[in-house]
Amino acid sequence: MNERTVKELRLIAEKCRRNVLRMVEASHHGHLGGAFSAMDIVTALYFYKMNVRPEDPKWEDRDRFLLSAGHKSMVQYAVLAEKGYFDKSVLDTYGGFKTQIPGHPDMFKLPGIEANTGALGHGLSIAMGMALGLRSQKKDAKVYAVMGDGELAEGSNWEAAAAAAHYRLDNLTAFVDFNGLQISGKVQDVMNFTPIAQHFAAFGWAVRDIDGNNMEEIVETLDSLPLEKGKPSLIVAHTIKAKGLSFGENIASFHYWEPNDEDLRKGIDEVEARISALEKELEEAGK
Amino acid sequence: MIGEKKDPRKTFGKAVSDIAEQDERIVVLSADSGFSSGFKEFAAAHPDRYFEFGIMEQGVTGIASGLATTGKIPVFCAIAPFVTCRNYEMFRNDLGYMRQNAKLVGRNCGFTYSDLGATHHSLEDFAIMRMIPGVVVLAPQSPDEIRAASKAMLEHEGPVYMRIGNPKIPELYDGEREFEIGKGQLLRDGNDLAIISTGSTTVYALEAAEKLAEKGVSAMIIGMPTVCPIDEEMVLMAAKKVGRIMTVEEHYSHGGLGTLVAEVCAEKAPVPVKMHGIPKEYATSGPYEELLRYYKLDADGITRTALEFLGK
Repeated sequence: MNERTVKELRLIAEKCRRNVLRMVEASHHGHLGGAFSAMDIVTALYFYKMNVRPEDPKWEDRDRFLLSAGHKSMVQYAVLAEKGYFDKSVLDTYGGFKTQIPGHPDMFKLPGIEANTGALGHGLSIAMGMALGLRSQKKDAKVYAVMGDGELAEGSNWEAAAAAAHYRLDNLTAFVDFNGLQISGKVQDVMNFTPIAQHFAAFGWAVRDIDGNNMEEIVETLDSLPLEKGKPSLIVAHTIKAKGLSFGENIASFHYWEPNDEDLRKGIDEVEARISALEKELEEAGK
Repeated sequence: MIGEKKDPRKTFGKAVSDIAEQDERIVVLSADSGFSSGFKEFAAAHPDRYFEFGIMEQGVTGIASGLATTGKIPVFCAIAPFVTCRNYEMFRNDLGYMRQNAKLVGRNCGFTYSDLGATHHSLEDFAIMRMIPGVVVLAPQSPDEIRAASKAMLEHEGPVYMRIGNPKIPELYDGEREFEIGKGQLLRDGNDLAIISTGSTTVYALEAAEKLAEKGVSAMIIGMPTVCPIDEEMVLMAAKKVGRIMTVEEHYSHGGLGTLVAEVCAEKAPVPVKMHGIPKEYATSGPYEELLRYYKLDADGITRTALEFLGK
């Protein structure tokens, strides 16, 4: 494990959190809780794992990323912007009329978006179809999907889970962003799908539980994919809702945040302080 | 009616399979439904392009979308309500909104699964599929037209819903006619009334025209194998020339072909339109021919409905 790589990824994740807050500055609302909880995973995928070309977003051999929980779209917009898919000024249009970055992603509006997700329970089927299509074309490209924990109650996910295992799609990896909270409260109280890993394992997936906000653990897991040859991989990423916004962490109401100016400033200051600290650490380590 | 009647499912499966021999992008998806859709031979010949998923139509629709993003042309055929109602949101978002090049085919459409009851009827598929932007809705009327529509469907870039029936059906005319998505066909000219029909009922509309002629009524017959987008030009021609239109379909009388025709007339050429189909109820069950008779969709029923519409 290269410590510097991990630290660099942590810095990028914080810069992407800042990108999310830039979108919130523009609109004064957004699904922040899930965007922040999934941020470390999505950052590591784009900046460490995935074989993509931001300058050629439709390159046919690219790895695919799908955000099944499309309401977390700010996480993907933030990471795509940081990766150079589009100019960061687009982030300032969040919430605006005819924006390229609507509340749920639109593949015809923004480069780098692979599917029009947002209606929950669709992403895994689409990802599974992509993985099957790529494999049948003998392409080495991989498919990564990030699902929410609340959306596991959608039955269509389990149709896709069965099919992916049946077709032994080890080019497919799905992450469940298990932050444990949905609009009505704790996921386990609303509809309990724990133990999540065991559910997927019973369907024939190779599974692993990780700390989804620990970059070292994420990188180590990405290095181990596929977890088992001949099986799709399912990573239960135990995360903290609104991770990185100290006063919002683990609070269900931060699923959708409509901050006042003061709270928003406070959030920006926190993230910027972490960015400065990490930059300093990296600079010192580089000497 | 011409020649020996043919099985629409086998005709469809064979047509797609023949085209797929030349086009490797075509893959066939099955929700435990492929063999009954005419793909048994294709499955044996091309196991690498035939994917069985079991009974999961929502999942298969999403999977079709994902496959299409990689350049495949998925064809998924199952009992009509299960590829329209069951998976409606997947059709709308994953195929429609994502504009994917996938083809979903509802077989045993209308109430052709007559005795199995209302769970297996599809009397609202035109109505719901036409509301998805960019989706083409086809209802071929004869074996030749099923072949032609299958070819057109596979050549068309974008999502298509096609419905086919179950009982054997006759040819409507000699030889294959040119089939173009969005184009209707003037099958018989007339002056007193224009009957616009689609899918299974067109053969009975043609028979009805003979019966009407015996009673001194000259009926124009238009076959409309593309329900959406509707052939506005053809509808306007009928409205302007004849001034009185009756639509006929094995579908609820409202929401489908009748509504599409009435919309064109209301906005561009107001004329009386009689929308003839099945009333909005859970249709009864029994032998198919008896259902056609009961809902006045056989030749006699269409004839009587036309005469009533004309006040005769």
